[in-house]
Amino acid sequence: MPINFRLVFPYVMLLLVTAAVVWAVSLNPPPRAEFTFDNGTEVQTLDSAKATGNPENRMINALFEGLLRSLPAADYREKYGPHENAPLTAQPGMAESYEVSEDGKTYTFHIRKNAVWSDESPVTAHDFEFSWQRMLHPETGSQYTYQLYYVRGTRSYTEAKVAPGDAVEVELADRRDRYQAWPRGTIVRGTLKEILKPAEPVIDSDVSPEDKSRRMSDWKKTWTYVVEIDGKLTAFSKAPDEALPFENAIPTACMQVLPDWQSTVGIKATDDHTLVVELNDRTPFFPELVAFYPLYPVNRKCIEKYGSPAWTKPANIVSNGPFNLKLRKLRDRIRLEKNPLYWDAKNVKLNSIDVLALRDETTALNMYLTGRVDWATTIPADMIPQLKKELKDQFPSAPMLTVYFYRLNTEKDALKDKRVRQALNLAIDKQNICEFVTKAGEVPAGTYVPPGLAGYDSPPGTQFDPKRARELLKEAGYAEGHQLPHIEILYNDSPSLHRTIAERVQQMWREHLGVDVQLRGLEWGVYLDAQDKKDYYIARAGWIADYPDPNTFLDMFVTGGDQNMTGWGNPKYDQLIADAGKEPDPAKRMAIFKEAEALFLEEVPIIPMYFYVSKNLIKPHVKGFCNDVQDLHPLTLLEIDHAAKDGKLGQRSGTAK
Amino acid sequence: MSALELFGALLRRLGWFVVTFWAVFTLSFFLMRLSPGGPFMGEKKLPEEIRRNLDEFYNLNAPLHEQYLTTLGNVVLLNLGPSQKLKDYTVNEVIAEGFPVSMSLGVIALTLALIGGTIAGVVSAVKRNTIYDFGFMGLATLGIAIPNFVLASLAIIIFCFYLPILPAAGWGSPQQIILPAICLAAPYAAYIARLTRAGMLEVLNLDYVRTAYAKGLQPRTVIVKHALRGAILPVVSFIGPAAAGILTGSLVIERIFNVPGFGSHFIDAALQRDYPLAMGAVLVYTALLYVMNSLVDLSYSVIDPRVKLE
Repeated sequence: MPINFRLVFPYVMLLLVTAAVVWAVSLNPPPRAEFTFDNGTEVQTLDSAKATGNPENRMINALFEGLLRSLPAADYREKYGPHENAPLTAQPGMAESYEVSEDGKTYTFHIRKNAVWSDESPVTAHDFEFSWQRMLHPETGSQYTYQLYYVRGTRSYTEAKVAPGDAVEVELADRRDRYQAWPRGTIVRGTLKEILKPAEPVIDSDVSPEDKSRRMSDWKKTWTYVVEIDGKLTAFSKAPDEALPFENAIPTACMQVLPDWQSTVGIKATDDHTLVVELNDRTPFFPELVAFYPLYPVNRKCIEKYGSPAWTKPANIVSNGPFNLKLRKLRDRIRLEKNPLYWDAKNVKLNSIDVLALRDETTALNMYLTGRVDWATTIPADMIPQLKKELKDQFPSAPMLTVYFYRLNTEKDALKDKRVRQALNLAIDKQNICEFVTKAGEVPAGTYVPPGLAGYDSPPGTQFDPKRARELLKEAGYAEGHQLPHIEILYNDSPSLHRTIAERVQQMWREHLGVDVQLRGLEWGVYLDAQDKKDYYIARAGWIADYPDPNTFLDMFVTGGDQNMTGWGNPKYDQLIADAGKEPDPAKRMAIFKEAEALFLEEVPIIPMYFYVSKNLIKPHVKGFCNDVQDLHPLTLLEIDHAAKDGKLGQRSGTAK
Repeated sequence: MSALELFGALLRRLGWFVVTFWAVFTLSFFLMRLSPGGPFMGEKKLPEEIRRNLDEFYNLNAPLHEQYLTTLGNVVLLNLGPSQKLKDYTVNEVIAEGFPVSMSLGVIALTLALIGGTIAGVVSAVKRNTIYDFGFMGLATLGIAIPNFVLASLAIIIFCFYLPILPAAGWGSPQQIILPAICLAAPYAAYIARLTRAGMLEVLNLDYVRTAYAKGLQPRTVIVKHALRGAILPVVSFIGPAAAGILTGSLVIERIFNVPGFGSHFIDAALQRDYPLAMGAVLVYTALLYVMNSLVDLSYSVIDPRVKLE
């Protein structure tokens, strides 16, 4: 008998809907953690070599620990108030001590004996050598390799720069997985004798830079490297089928030809507990770099077993920090639990932490106000004045090492003249922008390097001076803005703050200089592309310190620097930055930076707008929270005052109408 | 309709699905690649050598037509590759984590919309021009007119701050589903209520309903067993677009209530130029829309014998 669909249909549908609803509500929420905070956004990766950004920084600092770690002094609670910054310094982590050679160029780190990974195996100096080599390896794609360029031989290693006569290491094409640099294939070592290059491709001038770069890269793959190994010559190539033959034979296939790590790079584990690092120059802030997360160790066995990125899964990851990764739900939460094997576990007070990825600032505020999170790291700008008034004790705000600025494209006609750039800078009332637009207590920027760096004072900065600005513009031949070539301000249109600031600046320039500039708000990717191609006149930008030293701000504007993007360059400035890198005396070094910044401010390739302040909301029952210039707030310092928390359980602990 | 007819219709649908899927894939692929920017751009510029290596890892250095064919091959094998921004995840993993959450929210919202909308529509029609009718239809007009992010904000103010009985955001407990599901369902419930009311009013005047009343059947039996069956057809045809709308339109609600669903990835992936993830999102939604619309067409023909599946 044929099935009568019509009769069965309503019942089937009812059954399906019921089943679907039962499935949909059958959730199994984990119990709440002892401490919950909003990390602002989804963490892109837990792989320290590949991560960038502050949310990642917080997670990697919780899960891993470097030779050194950034912490405030032990008595910071007594010394610093809620609106002050407790200075973070590089303190012993996996290394219980280190020595610096007399010339300041060799660091010897001593790994503590009781340092273990979460799989109970010991943390050794070899782990650091491996981790740093992995970070520097060209295929890892680490954005922070330049943090180790102060170490001998590292830059050549990352850029795979080899020349005849160099000691090289050749990786044969026998990897388990072509796209996993670890486990590596067989490594053979020798001396590079010559490089046979097929004819260089002729590239038309109208080819885009990306295409040109790709074609040159393809060409380099066809090079034949002739290497002497144990007195015998062998030829290798990454693309043997297209490469020139050597002695009538096709070269052996290889993955990489790199400078020999062992003999050319100044990173060496001399035994399980000693790591020796040789620098190119005296680099006084090297301990700060070592305490920065890209230089944290990763577990070799874990990476070789699971590969990247599978090694970062909660079930696979092996870490060495104060917390272990228990759970990771995308766009929802990361659950951390105290690591009982951590060498300093007795001083870690929190047992479990939920890290939420709240991308909407209003949602974060709602959850904070209804007691679902104990610490909110992002707050809607519009609410800040009210929150500062009503929740003053829960709003510990302090300056950060972050600057908001406008890049000026000095290759554009209107901005070639220094006087025009100076006039534009002097005609912006930055105090007005901080008071009426950003509103969180940001500091108007007369200089470029933010205040708060130990031992460094910026030169006197510029102040709002519309009269002088008009004079300068007149001297440049554009009195009242007449005949001034086209100018426009480029910004990414989300968040809307950038547009509001640009509108305010546009209005100020019109009012004070008679200059009419256009605004060009672009979607994020298009904005980055335009800035990258220097297809802009004035572009908004920001810079967060990677480490607490003026160098992190100033060295990016050397001529042709990757992050410069203004077309500006000055040989004297370049020389000063290079001199600072070699100067052994800390005071003299800071004086050189000051001179460089003064020159920079005089030339105005950028207009500094304001310095950021941290914007955190923290519940009164969380103890140990301190401000710092990098807005890090190490989780190991925090603890919960349970008596205070339980007293407020179920109540709204904050009101902001 | 015989089983053979059904099978033939499904086979034709499948054929069109393949064509549609391929067209959407091709269009999305080239649109994404033609838009300026790329996955490895950021405020901090990457050194050229590292960018080249990343391009090679993600197969972005090959000529565009080769990338197209490789990606198409991978899609056919249901392997969308690694996400370029969520570096610890493959696109398949992102879909596997986010999609069930969006589905949970969607199923509950759709059920709420259907039940609430149908009841409101029937009551309004049966009690035409009474306070019930004006009340429900007034609510329905508001439901359609108020955007769901405004509704969500109002709901949070009322149920989380003034009457602190529900959580403001998050996912994991049944309480956390209530507000997002209601806010998501509201405009659809309103529309369904209006459709049901219109359908019922039309059917209630037909001869077979009058006959049913004349036979002495209980009013409830007449309405539920006879009238509703005829009146529900427009609602059924609306379920397809409604399901698709609820599942794809949950982005705003997911963000406001911090629901870790797949909708969150849809726009983020496109904005961040995460090509594989954006492609995955487009293809998943394409499949979803197609399947939902096909199911509705199928059920439509089952409910109404005059409708033939072509």
